[in-house]
Formats: sequence, structure tokens, C-alpha cells
Amino acid sequence: MKQPERLLILAAVLVLARPYPGAAEGKDLHLKNGNIITVTGETVKGGDLVIRGGKITGIGKNIQTPAGAAVVDLAGRWAMPGIIDSHSHIAIEGSVNEMGDLMTPEVDIRDVINPEDIYIVYALAGGVTTIHTMHGSGNPIGGRGIVLKLRWGKSAEEMIFRGAPLTIKWALGENPKRSNALGMGPSRYPRTRMGVEAAIRLEFEKTKDYLNTWAQHENRLKALKKGEPPPLPPRKDLRLEVLADILKGKYWVRCHAYQSEEMLSIMRLCDEYGLKLACFEHGLEGYRITNELVRYGVAVSSFADFWAYKWEAYNTMPHSAALMAQRGVLTALNSDDAERMRRLFHEAAKTVRFGGLSEAEALKTITINPAIILGIADRTGSLEVGKDADIAVFNRHPFDPYTVCEMTLVDGEIFFDRAGYLEARKKAEEEKKKPEEEAGKEKRS
Amino acid sequence: MSGGATMKTSIVIAALAALTALWTPAAETTGPVLIRGARIVPVEGPVLESGDLLIENGKITAVGPSVKAPEGARVIEASGLTAYPGFIDAYTQYGLVEIGAIAATVDSSEMGKENPEVRAAWAINPHSVHFRTGRICGTTAALVAPAGGTFPGISALVKMEGWSFPEMAVKEEATSLINFPMSPRPPTAEQVGPKPTTEIDVTSKLVEKIKEYLSEARHYLALKKEAASNPAVKAPDHNPKYEALAPVFEGTLPVILSVEKAKDIELALKFIKEEKIKAVFRGCAQGYKVADKIKAAGIPVIVGDLYRDPSEPEDGYDAPFRNVAELSKAGVTLCFSSGTNPSTGKDLPYHAARAVAFGMSHEDAVKALTINPARVFGIDDRLGTLAPGKDADLFLTTGDPLDLRSEVKHMFISGREIDLGNWWKDLYDKWKSRPLK
Repeated sequence: MKQPERLLILAAVLVLARPYPGAAEGKDLHLKNGNIITVTGETVKGGDLVIRGGKITGIGKNIQTPAGAAVVDLAGRWAMPGIIDSHSHIAIEGSVNEMGDLMTPEVDIRDVINPEDIYIVYALAGGVTTIHTMHGSGNPIGGRGIVLKLRWGKSAEEMIFRGAPLTIKWALGENPKRSNALGMGPSRYPRTRMGVEAAIRLEFEKTKDYLNTWAQHENRLKALKKGEPPPLPPRKDLRLEVLADILKGKYWVRCHAYQSEEMLSIMRLCDEYGLKLACFEHGLEGYRITNELVRYGVAVSSFADFWAYKWEAYNTMPHSAALMAQRGVLTALNSDDAERMRRLFHEAAKTVRFGGLSEAEALKTITINPAIILGIADRTGSLEVGKDADIAVFNRHPFDPYTVCEMTLVDGEIFFDRAGYLEARKKAEEEKKKPEEEAGKEKRS
Repeated sequence: MSGGATMKTSIVIAALAALTALWTPAAETTGPVLIRGARIVPVEGPVLESGDLLIENGKITAVGPSVKAPEGARVIEASGLTAYPGFIDAYTQYGLVEIGAIAATVDSSEMGKENPEVRAAWAINPHSVHFRTGRICGTTAALVAPAGGTFPGISALVKMEGWSFPEMAVKEEATSLINFPMSPRPPTAEQVGPKPTTEIDVTSKLVEKIKEYLSEARHYLALKKEAASNPAVKAPDHNPKYEALAPVFEGTLPVILSVEKAKDIELALKFIKEEKIKAVFRGCAQGYKVADKIKAAGIPVIVGDLYRDPSEPEDGYDAPFRNVAELSKAGVTLCFSSGTNPSTGKDLPYHAARAVAFGMSHEDAVKALTINPARVFGIDDRLGTLAPGKDADLFLTTGDPLDLRSEVKHMFISGREIDLGNWWKDLYDKWKSRPLK
């Protein structure tokens, strides 16, 4: 394909950035005549949603269109809260693992947000509005994650979900101990689950010493006599500064772990150091320790049925997420993968078939539950008056096998519109044909 | 590998061996079974809203609105359930891959580029847990294909049940395989770094290499034939690789050609014509761009799993689904497959559902799961529809089998009812009973 043609097709993709006609940024919207899945309340059949200033201001039946609001006829389509993926690796520039060292809490995804990642478009086209994008699981302490709203076409800064709690990625098991990377690159400590935990403990002991050194320094400053020269401050260590903030509870720990016993062990560690352990990532054996997870109050962000790709992912089943949720664990489904991200609505449907989760509870695993895990449930994750207008519209119920996401709104702004996409694609394909036809005419003449 | 790692691997293998020994294949012999009052979707012929189906000696012997149960027949009251012929997964690695990350459990890809002689039949582990978990959504048969290199080997077509490989095999040698070269993505305007000044057609050069290899094989076979009747000609040294290609040249063994991009599909069509081989495409991510050409050449397409991204962003976010829908509308014979990860093999009907969501008809989607692969692999005399004389490979489900919420309640393979228990169910039964505290 020649360059100009390629660019025309590209236009079909990029046109998604263009707001829906009549729905320019900040414009009020009235979504009419749809089935409104609120998640936290009843589903309103044949209902309306009113959006003003990017917030939901009305949900119900036969609502009057506010003056100046654009009307979108849902014509029986299904509106649900924008899907939240609390474990993603998209919209990141370059590699997700800082393998130059073992403990790298100082690195921050905030510094490498890529707002032009095409997977943002794909995610929007699957109804996803908010993601938590973070480091990989190569290091026991990998770095700091960031919560983004998928405002495609905006800058990195404008995508950041303001006010979301800060997170730090940890990882246990096969990835940090590099057991599936034998012979790939130089060996390093740790090689065992014991070593992984020892390495984390050592790091926090160092941090405690560091904090003590600073406390002593502060005390010395306070006790300074008049005219006495102040002592030199201790060396500032940016890595230990972040670890100190973890100790102070400033970061929510997101811990990649598969095996039940390593989860139990790290829960004890977090108790000992008084850390805020928010969520286990994957937790494919979490179904074994639901009592302990509930008692500790830690969530699990898991897969519906992805398994057996490595040994620590073998002792599991697609019923795991449903069983955890039924036994009281705050459970979310995540993608961990750019492709899986665009079909999370069907991943949630699998928990109905496997483990018999109710449809209402299954919907929570991709909406309000990940919102709670991320500490943003006051803003998004359900359709409620006062919340951000983050909405996914499907032509059928999101669990229907033949459903298609048709529209996705972030803060009341339409960032994906299938009808608009199809129109733009048609136009681009016609444009592409024109020069070919003209060339054909010239040949004939 | 260190001693510790070896020991760990041994433990894992021992654990796997223990797991896979838990379940017993279905009883060898069984009397007649009458399925009564089911909605019957025979795939070919009209749907019976309420019908009966009789199984005797491993075969379907009668299908109709009302079939009399022979004496001593077991009757399954199936009202509320729907009967479908078992699904055929047209490209998998069942029994060749257990746990992707553990090399000791992986037998899918041989070293080197040219291994047309290696056979999946020699390596398939009939006791892999994935046969059990893979069939719970309706799959009763699968093509198991080796991968890797240009000539990965010979696939086998198996039923998803049996005490041993020969018992499972429908066809020990189902197809040969060629991984067609893939054109690199052309540089984009935004791309950083030096851009090639001249356009080198790498793909065509690689196709030439494949043609050369086939030409050498043909030469070898011709020489061997000549030597058999002419004592003046010395027979060449035995070459198992070339020998394995003989049935391909004779047209008795079809070749699955894996190819994705539109440009490469066109090259592949030319290649097939020139080499005069019986070919089936696999993949065809950009098939919709040349659907009319694929249709005109009469090449069936095994589409890859639809849990995938567009081949190129310019194709649009929905290209994988649109592709299948448009190939179907163009009249291309399609088969679905779950791909190279047997642990997610159960998702086969879910891939079909994605194609239906984007415009393929439900009827065509079901054909692409049943009769189409049966025809493509030449086993439609035994599999693919519910009709008297065919193998009793079928399942009864609570609803639309493409719906993620439907549940297969009964499954028959070769007329025997299959235990739907599996590794997942064992875990579930155990752990749902842990007392709540």
C-alpha cells in the first residue's frame, strides 16, 4: 500500500478523536430511551441519563431534556458504567520492567505515559474508560503506577485521574525469581520465593534505618545550641524516600502473586510493617484462602479463565473469581493484556457460567469493584447522580454473546462512537478508491 | 540446568502425571441411547423444535420428531436442551502443550525450518488435562498441528476422548503444514530511524526458497521412481523429509498454509496454483481485502482465534471480526479454531460469537464449527452433522452454544457418554466446601 493511501485509512482510526456532533466538550447530553445498568442500584429499563458538566445529573424515566442539552436516542441500547481495568500495561512508552536493578520503587509510570498508544482506542471500543497502568512483575518492588481516564487525543497530563490514590507495584513468585527466564540474561538473586520475601524485608529494614538517621538528624537540629553550626544532613536517597512513603501508608500496594501460600506470607509481612496492601494481582489461587483474604481485607484482581501458561498459574479454575466473590472477597477482573482489555465485558460473563455468579455481581467485577480497589469509587464505577459520566453503550446486554460496544463516554464526552467510525471508514475507503479509478480511466484512454 | 531446577521440573512432571491420571475415559461398550424431546440442530436439514435421536453402536441411527426406543435403551429426557453435532476445532495444539512456560511439557515446535516429516501423532498426550477442559463448551474433535519453522510437520485429527492416541485418532495424518512468510510492516511517515531506500520484496524471495525446497523434493521422488524401474539409475539416499511431501504432490494430503496479510495471501494463491497442491489457509487476518480472490480459488480458510488485535492499526479496531463476517458473506468456506493455546481451547464457540456479533450469520458460524471442518479434513462421512450413519459425537446444551452463559449438560463421543468432569471441577468441588470462617 502506498503512503497516501495508508494515511487515509489511518484517518479512519484517528477520527475517533473527533467528538460526536453536538457533543462537544462540556456540552450537556440527554441519553434517552435505553436500558440503564446502574450496577449499584436497579437497572432502569426504558430509561434516560442526563449529563451536565461531565457529571451524571439525572437517571430515570421520561426525564425532560434540559435546555441546551444534545439528545442521543439510545433506542433500547444498554448503557453501563464505563469499564475499569485495574491492571493494565497500555499507554506506556517503552518497557514496563526496570530490570537494571532488583528494587525500583523510584521509577514512576507517570513519567512515561504515552497518550498516543493505539490500544487506548481499542480499549475505548471495548467500553473501557478508566485504567490503572503499571510496571511489570519483573522486580519484587517494580515502581509506581498511575490511574488514567482514556481521554484519547488529550495530553498525558490531561489523562491522569486526579485524586486517585498512589499505587506501588510489587511482585512475588516466578517472575521476580526469573524461573521462566533461565539462560536469558545474567542470573540474579533471588531465585526462590524465600529470596523474594527476604529481599523485600531487607529493603524495609534499610528504610527504617534511613528514617531513623533522618529522625536523629532532626533531633540534633532541634537540640542545636545558639551559634553552633548545624550538622550535615544525611544523604537523600530517592529509592528509600518512596519506600518510606510506602511505610507511612502513602502508597497502596498492588502485589502480583499467584500462589495462596505466598499471599498468606506477604499478608503477614505487610501486617508487620503496617503497610497498606490493597490488592493481589492475578491471585489465581486466591479461592483457597478466601477466609484469610476477607479477614485481612485485601482485594483480588484476577483473570476469568486465563491459566496454565506457567506452573504457578496451573492450580486454578475459571470458577475462581466467582467463588472468591461469593465468599466475600472484593474481586475484580483485569486484562493485564491490551487485547483482553477490549472484551472485559465477556470475561465478566464467564463468571456467570463458571461458579454461578449472579449477573449483577458479575458486572461489579469490571466496574464498581475495581473502582473501590483503586480508591475512586466516589467518582466512577457505577451510574449514580453526582458521579462522573463515564459510560459504555452496548447494542445488546453486555453479557449477550453478540453484543457490540457502540459508544463510550468519559466525563460526558464521547470518545468512541461506532456509527461515526463506520462512516469515516467508508469515506476513507471511497477516497482510497478514487485515485485507483482515475488511474484506470487514464489507462483505458 | 541446575540440579534444583531439574528436581523442580521433575516434581512438576510428577504432579502433572498425578493430575492426568484422575479421570477414566467413558465405558467401552454401551447399549442404545435415546435422546428424547430435545431441540435438534442437525446443521444440515431443518431444525427439529422437539425431536428424538437414537444412538446405537457408536453411531446415530435415527433422528426424527418421534423415534421409538429399542428395548433396553437408556432414555435421556432432554426437553429444554438443544442437541448439536460436536464442534471440530480446526487448528490446535491439544496434547502437545501442557504448560507453556515449562519446556518439558511442550512438544509443539521442532528445531530448524524444514521438518515436513514430523508427526503430531508421535507426540500427542491423550491424557493432557486440556482435552477435558477444552471440550466443556462443545468441542468433540480437534486438529492437532505442530508449529515452528517453514514446514512444521503433519497434523492429526483426534476425538477429544480415548485411552490412547490410536483410539482417539480420526486421521493420524490429516494435513501437511507450511508457515508462509509474512511481509514486514512498511515504514510509516512517523517512524524514527533510517528508512530503506529501495523496496526489496523479502516475501517473494522467501517464497522462492520454499519453491526450491519443493522442487528438490519433487526431483528426489522422480529420481527414486526412475531408479525403481531403471537399474542404470542410482536411487537417492532415503530422505524422510522429501518422502513426507509425496502425498502432498499426489494431492492426497492437503496443506494448511498459515498466512495473514492481504499481499501474502495473493502470493500464496499464486504459489498454490503453481505448485498444484490442495491447500487450506489458516489465519488470513486481512482476508477480507482479497475475499473475492480466495473465493474464486476455492480455498477454505481456518480463521485464528478472535481474541486478537487488528493485524495493522489501519485496518480498524474491529478488523478481526469484520474479516470473518466479510469472508463469510463472500462465500468462502470457513472453519473456526482456538489456536495454539490448548488451555483456552474451550473458548472455540466464543470466537464464533464474536464473528456473529459483527455480521456473520449464526447458521454459517455453526457450520464453521461442524460440517465445514469435517469437509475440509475429509471426514464428513463420519462427523459434522446429526444424521443417521454418522458417528454419535454430539452434545446437549442449555441454550445457544455460542452464548458464554450456556452449559453443556451431556456429551457423547463415539456413542459413549462422556464424563464432563475435569481438573477445574475437581478443584471447584473441593474448595467450595472449605468452611467459611
